[in-house]
Amino acid sequence: MHPATGPAWLVWLETSGFAVAMRQWLWLYPIVEIVHIVGFVVLVGAAFMFDLRLLGLNRGLPVSAMAEHLLRWSRWSLVLVVPSGAAMFVAHATEMAANPAFQLKLALIAAAFLNAGIFHRFPFRAVGDWDTEIAAPMPARLAGALSLTLWTGVIACGRLLAYV
Amino acid sequence: MRGIVRHAIVVAALLALGAGAASAHHGWSGYDSGKELTVTGTITDSGYEHPHGHIRLEAPGKTWSVVLAPPSRMENRGLPRAMLKPGTRATVVGYPHRTEPEEMRAERITIAGKTTELR
Repeated sequence: MHPATGPAWLVWLETSGFAVAMRQWLWLYPIVEIVHIVGFVVLVGAAFMFDLRLLGLNRGLPVSAMAEHLLRWSRWSLVLVVPSGAAMFVAHATEMAANPAFQLKLALIAAAFLNAGIFHRFPFRAVGDWDTEIAAPMPARLAGALSLTLWTGVIACGRLLAYV
Repeated sequence: MRGIVRHAIVVAALLALGAGAASAHHGWSGYDSGKELTVTGTITDSGYEHPHGHIRLEAPGKTWSVVLAPPSRMENRGLPRAMLKPGTRATVVGYPHRTEPEEMRAERITIAGKTTELR
């Protein structure tokens, strides 16, 4: 229903053959949605389990081993999440770009990646000192709490962009 | 003990955020279901598109933008794309949008004597 008006590159995306297929092929859109959901379940689910460990749950599990297992799957899930998300964006590019929930979602994703990057660059470097049975240092716990909050916000915005 | 309290706070915060998202998931709350409308007119434009199909329905005195259902559902319920082509007469029963004066959401649509439920 949204008219294809806005910056030329968005209009070009939205009127592309692929965008038309996304909107008009009966099952493409729902399939892409399912791929996106499976992807972010893995991405955010694995991140949450790791974050809860940073916050102090199950201190018997080594943080380094959890990072190697869980965060690897979080990274690989991007292979599902990013293309499917891009496909849904293209289908309604001008509308999405102007949607405040979508804009906030992108900002929160950027913040979540930045938070993960800072965590790996700083507190995680010394994970050997607090790998098991010791409370994670405050910066690591803060990173875990931020990650839980930011990814929850990303999911909320992703759902709410259809309702604002 | 302090650890448990902290975890409880984290979980409570998560639930609160989740509940906020869920309560908005009634969708369709932008339409006023207290004002049921029946509109008969001629389809002037249609989109058999995700996430929801839509038509422009020219009725006496007013042209409505009518939001329908996802195309996969309409196809399943026997309302294929061809039935919505411009020039077709249609009757929709639905609810007006609370803030967009020309927009309504159809609960059902009748074309050539055949009624399709859209929800």
